[in-house]
Amino acid sequence: MSVIAPDFKLSGFIKSLLDNIFWILTLLVLIGVPAIFIILFVIPLPIIDGELLSPFLAFAALVNPTRLLPIIHAFLTTDIFKVMVFPGFGFAVLLAASVIFAERKMMAKIQLRVGPFYCGKVEGVLQLMGDGLKLISKEIIIPAKADKPIFWAAPVLFVATAAAFVALIPVAPGWVVADIDLGLLGVFAVIGFFPIITILSAWSANSKYPFIGGIRALFQMVSFEIPLILSLLGVVMVTGTLNLSEISASQSNFPWIIFLPIGAIVFFITMLAELERIPFDLPEAESEIVAGWLTELSGMMYGLVQLGSYLKLYAFAALFVVLFLGGWNGPMVVPAFPEQIITEGIEMGPITLTIEGLGPLLHDTITQEMLNGTLWFVLKTAGVIFFIILPRGVFPRVRVDILLNLGWTKLIGLCFINIFIALGLVYAGVIGPGGLV
Amino acid sequence: MAEIVFLVLSVITIGSAIAALEMRSLIYGSIALMGSLGGIAGFFLLLDAPFVALFQLVVYVGAIAVLILFTVMLVKRELIFKKIEDKRRKFAGIGLMLIIMVSIGAVFIDSGIKTITTDEPPVNFRDIGADFVIYYWPALILMGLILAGTVTGALVLARRVDVEVDERTN
Repeated sequence: MSVIAPDFKLSGFIKSLLDNIFWILTLLVLIGVPAIFIILFVIPLPIIDGELLSPFLAFAALVNPTRLLPIIHAFLTTDIFKVMVFPGFGFAVLLAASVIFAERKMMAKIQLRVGPFYCGKVEGVLQLMGDGLKLISKEIIIPAKADKPIFWAAPVLFVATAAAFVALIPVAPGWVVADIDLGLLGVFAVIGFFPIITILSAWSANSKYPFIGGIRALFQMVSFEIPLILSLLGVVMVTGTLNLSEISASQSNFPWIIFLPIGAIVFFITMLAELERIPFDLPEAESEIVAGWLTELSGMMYGLVQLGSYLKLYAFAALFVVLFLGGWNGPMVVPAFPEQIITEGIEMGPITLTIEGLGPLLHDTITQEMLNGTLWFVLKTAGVIFFIILPRGVFPRVRVDILLNLGWTKLIGLCFINIFIALGLVYAGVIGPGGLV
Repeated sequence: MAEIVFLVLSVITIGSAIAALEMRSLIYGSIALMGSLGGIAGFFLLLDAPFVALFQLVVYVGAIAVLILFTVMLVKRELIFKKIEDKRRKFAGIGLMLIIMVSIGAVFIDSGIKTITTDEPPVNFRDIGADFVIYYWPALILMGLILAGTVTGALVLARRVDVEVDERTN
């Protein structure tokens, strides 16, 4: 048996611990406490629940954790929380990361392999974390004749654009980062930025394979944007709004996929092309052009582009759910919170734990509707993502001319059929204001 | 606040327009052009016309700037442009542009546009759509026919008869 640290001494270990504690205390006294005072002096802090939010409340919260509840409640209603945690970036990154793992396991099962297995005790669940650590620790190599500013900026811009896309998606009633009236147009505007970033990244690498991949990505994305926009016009016609939250709320009785199945199918196909997934993964065709426009990206730059593309996948799947599958609507399966917990507290064993101030938290922010909507939204999105990654195990890659032919002739024709169906439904008085349903 | 945003947008728009003209690298020039078009979208947002602003982004930045970028990348600059470095022409051009801009601006300011004050709510895009279908439908249909004719003509021009190669079919 090998010895990990042959020079290990217990006294040395304890000394290092004491050293650490000494330095933490010294730095806290010399830097931390003055920093708290500077914050108190400079920044006007909000008053929450009749109490000024000061850093010293952290010490009080150590003694009595329920004093944190009003602060948590106030934080949950801020825009920062929405942007960074729940309907925004954090939630989307969590889903995207689980999609990467699920995709690898699923591909393995389809192809009768094992897939990620060793990292982590159960079925390789920690594989993704290991991959992330590897990418962070790898050196970023930039080609000698690359155009450095654009090459550095492209991955960051890619993630930023994908995050802007995520910001437009309503997850539960009232839970959306940017609730604008022209949400769907905003989606179109954001989608238009992806080909620019792709081609700039590909060009700036100054290498043959990325450039070929970038050109392919450009014409694929630009030509599939047209059927994408046209296929969604049917939904806009029957709902009469461009606001994604209103579109989602309008499907409380039935999802639009029942009335507009052609639009849904066309949108799904264009979605596969915009996401560069098999069978339309020509821009990254690994058996033809190394890795396409990702060839020269290394280390965390590659990681960022991967993160951005999976965020984009989540956003597209969520958009499909919002437009065609009814968004957050679904049967109420989340049970109502028992009032007893809020008023009387929880009785456990010999003691009764009373939590005060839980009422506003459960009535305003984390409501039953919000939990139920999120549950249905996540379930539907997971289903759509499953169907997005399923073709990867089944289909071969299509040829370039077949792809363009499909996009420019068949899909656009189907889009117009879909628009005429929607117009017919509206003018026949089936849907819309004063309609039958 | 609006004034500051207006100033920043003006600097971005005009600055990137000048950069688009003056950059030696065509790629950076087209990126600057994108910045300029995006700045114009910002002006539309400032004017309470988000519909036009988003369409400006979709059409100009998302489609036209991409086409320009695509074309520029496939072109070798040295083959089609001959550099004529002439200071006098450059300054003459700048002077001419300044004269034209100042005179147009003078006409605008003199036309009484400064005295217009309105408290009307921003025009709803639904009203614009209804106007298009009710009052201006002949123009709309004419425009549609012209566009359809152009697209058909482009398709006919771009049509190519594939030559069957015997070896491949065998």
